[in-house]
Amino acid sequence: MSTNRFQLTEERKAHYGRFIRQFRNNQKAVIGLGIIVVLFFVAIFAQKIVVPYIDVTIQPFSLVPHDPEATNVQNREQAPSMEYLMGTDNLGRDIFSRVLAGARISVLVGFTSISIAMIFGTTIGIVAGYYQGLVDEGLMRAMDAMMSFPPILLALTIVAVMEPNLVNLILALAFVYTPFIARVARSAALSVRNESFVEAAVARGESDTYIIFREVLPNCVGPLLVQGSINIAFTMLLEASLSFLGLGVQPPTSSWGLMINQGWAFMGDAPWLVFFPALAIATAVIGFNLLGDGLRDVLDPKGEIIE
Amino acid sequence: MAFVNYLLKRFGFMLVTLFLVTLITFGLTKILPGNVALLILGPNATEASIAQLEAQLGLDQPLYVQYVDWVAGLLSGDMGMSLRYNVPVFDLIALRLPRSLLLAVTATIISVTLSIPLGIIAAVRKNTPADLTASMLAFIGLSLPIFLWGLVFIYVFALTLGGFPTRGYVSPMVDPIASIHHLILPASAMGVALTAYIMRMTRSSMIDELSEDYVEFARSKGLSERAVVLRHALKNAAIPVITVVAFQFSYAFGGVVVLEEVFSWPGIGRLTLTAIENRDIPLLQGSIIVIALIYMLSNFLADTFYAYVDPRIRYGGSE
Repeated sequence: MSTNRFQLTEERKAHYGRFIRQFRNNQKAVIGLGIIVVLFFVAIFAQKIVVPYIDVTIQPFSLVPHDPEATNVQNREQAPSMEYLMGTDNLGRDIFSRVLAGARISVLVGFTSISIAMIFGTTIGIVAGYYQGLVDEGLMRAMDAMMSFPPILLALTIVAVMEPNLVNLILALAFVYTPFIARVARSAALSVRNESFVEAAVARGESDTYIIFREVLPNCVGPLLVQGSINIAFTMLLEASLSFLGLGVQPPTSSWGLMINQGWAFMGDAPWLVFFPALAIATAVIGFNLLGDGLRDVLDPKGEIIE
Repeated sequence: MAFVNYLLKRFGFMLVTLFLVTLITFGLTKILPGNVALLILGPNATEASIAQLEAQLGLDQPLYVQYVDWVAGLLSGDMGMSLRYNVPVFDLIALRLPRSLLLAVTATIISVTLSIPLGIIAAVRKNTPADLTASMLAFIGLSLPIFLWGLVFIYVFALTLGGFPTRGYVSPMVDPIASIHHLILPASAMGVALTAYIMRMTRSSMIDELSEDYVEFARSKGLSERAVVLRHALKNAAIPVITVVAFQFSYAFGGVVVLEEVFSWPGIGRLTLTAIENRDIPLLQGSIIVIALIYMLSNFLADTFYAYVDPRIRYGGSE
């Protein structure tokens, strides 16, 4: 079959079309994707994006009605109103603007850390699943060891020893979730390892690199997409928890977890300080969980998914 | 004995993993910036006294010697002295660990009592409004961080309704009533957070079982639906659920790090955070390794139990 490239693309196209149809019919997947699109929109357009050092504005719009970092003590702890849709915090900052601006951190942390984890995890998992034997044992024992720490403990220790900031936070979360991706990639690779098309490629004398990237990897995409989506939800939860503990992004940057950290002392009199950032976290996480669940229904991945 | 072989193999794996876990813990805590001797002696210390203390603490030794010393100490229950409290790390952990276990175990019990009946009801009434509501709530529950459940419980039950303390711990030995009073909020917050997952698992494995032939057979024998569900299907659905409960316990134990901070619960989670704040390396190493050990053990027990009741796992090859 592989001699006839045309036939293969037709088959792929049909496969792709079927995926789109099933995806569109899956309520969870569609709602999840909808939430994620809105989240992205907010993350991009919440504030202007100015490239540092060269002072070039690459995104000139801003959705925020007020400066998220501008304090105004006379205006502190205002209840939600038309002027301040979600009220103001203990320093008089507009919570609505801060929630919008916080989307950027959540999306940035979730996506970059899981992208990094995907690159390393997929490589490790597929290499382990494809070569098996000692390579597999060595790699997977190392992954087991990383998974022997509660994720939050591992992440907060890494961030704490390296100094809490955005970059270290992303790296720590990428490290924590690499073994999750690796295990899924390995079990997907194992399940295609003995398929006839892989054996055919071996018999044709294709190189290992070719087989791994062209034959094994494409067949692992389904489970990896599902796991990746669920893990972005995890990462967002973990980012919120770390920021809540003061071990995530540092002020004055607004992140949802950090807003709750700064607001919960005032929760008794001004619950909106906690309620709205919490709502934002829940909405974003629900979005990725829905997408993950929907993709799982549609793709029906073989092998394990770790929740 | 396939199961004994399986058990030995898993146990061997766990020892290898444990070795790697000590390596990671030691390596991570060694990155922590700050000169330990300087921290102990204060900024006015002379270079000579710093060097002397470093020699005394073994910090002038090569890293692998320090590592071997540390592991040897661990095996004999000696985790060094805490820099912040100036008492053995072992004693600090021995005092704090039971409090965290109390919290995690109570939370697991609460979540099991809530989630299993809910899961069964949702499965039996599959696709009815009751099921959809329960499933939707569980989905939302999965999407909130544990600390937020803590805040919700503080807001509703302590600040609004009143009657519960927002923070602190009382030993059950000193005052059992006050102890339970302090335990209820943090344990329920965590219990509810865990409920979502166990409920989903119970629901889906009950649905699987209810569609099996033997259930149809039991129904056709004329057994009441109640008897079919409780006596036949539940027994088989329990297997994955019990595994999940064990996993959830380990999850709860990981969650104590944040939840203890919310409720000022003086357990091992807060101890870890204190160790980080104070750059207390021996204490940090000790608490991390103990938390990881308990986390690993409960996962190991879950795996083992699963393999014991479901032989397919043992022959499956891929763990």
